[in-house]
Amino acid sequence: MEKELKKIEKVISNLELNSQAQIQELLKNFLKTHLKKSKIDNFIGDYPTFIEPVYLNVNVKIGDDVLLGPNVYIGKNTEIKNYVEISNSIIFDNALIGENVKLNNCIIGKNTLLNCENINIDNCVLVGNVKTKEDVYRIMYKFK
Amino acid sequence: MSEKRKQEIQRIKELESINLARDEIRDLVIDTKKEVEKDNDLLAAQINDELNKRGIKSIDIVGAIGAGKTAILEKITEKLSKKYRILVICGDITTRVDADRIEKHNAETVQINTGRECALNAYHINQVIKNKDLFDFDLIFVENVGNLICPSDFKLGTDKRITVVSITEGEWVIEKHPMLFKMSDIAVINKIDLLERLGTNIDKMIKDACGFNPDIKVITTSAKTGENIDTLIEALEL
Repeated sequence: MEKELKKIEKVISNLELNSQAQIQELLKNFLKTHLKKSKIDNFIGDYPTFIEPVYLNVNVKIGDDVLLGPNVYIGKNTEIKNYVEISNSIIFDNALIGENVKLNNCIIGKNTLLNCENINIDNCVLVGNVKTKEDVYRIMYKFK
Repeated sequence: MSEKRKQEIQRIKELESINLARDEIRDLVIDTKKEVEKDNDLLAAQINDELNKRGIKSIDIVGAIGAGKTAILEKITEKLSKKYRILVICGDITTRVDADRIEKHNAETVQINTGRECALNAYHINQVIKNKDLFDFDLIFVENVGNLICPSDFKLGTDKRITVVSITEGEWVIEKHPMLFKMSDIAVINKIDLLERLGTNIDKMIKDACGFNPDIKVITTSAKTGENIDTLIEALEL
């Protein structure tokens, strides 16, 4: 799993105009092949809803009324705010997902802070630090 | 009047004013509730269409904690897994104890941990089926969270609903929970192997279920001994 995550991290840190197909394939392959079983016993926070498989790395903070899964990996020290929904996605370490953000089929890079609220995002790579919805659209890399 | 008593009275006044404020948003609360139920029903109908289109039969099992839902499903999957490719979606507040038990009988499982929610809803089921390769399955069971109240609010889009009660819950259990029996196709009264010892009035339970829903099939079973599990499988009309 670690090896595959590193590979994905490398690709999203050097995004090129023609990386779409490669990212789609990497995400699909990771979720299907490397994320078969859940690991949800070590998070900090309230009582979210999990649809397996969901894999939480250490020190993940989860807010109130959150729905995670199916097919979700969340990296170390990442914080998920209230009312968030995530499916078919990889969230790397030290990220922050703002309140009522909905992610499907997304990759969120290491140290990415989505410090905004109420937004639905599909089929995207997001890397950066944003505070508004407009900023999200600015850093968004659509791969589908 | 003591200072403490004055503070208590002040607190009660504050609480009363909060309740008045709540009355003002009552319409909004009622409208929201109606919308949630309507959306759930629409999604459930869509799920049922999708499964029917692919020729997949689906059955939802509800019942109180400890009634024997998982034990019955273990027996059913054990008998049917040679003939059908089975997916079991298990709902629980936490843990995957039920999914692990059922998986031993050659069925694929998906565990949904609902956290604070007391029942599965159509959105949960939709999230599972839209992310699964449905060509891999002929039969889907949904084992709801152990609860005889909340599941009656949420249709899941399955073909049939089975409500499981057991004689250890007492002969009034059906009489006290009419809603679920009104919307179920089969009522299972489980743990009849304990009948002699407990002396529960099963005739009353059957009469209550049929009284609420004349079309309901009532089957008495023992998941432990396997008694009448075949009758239950026949009633599923697969």
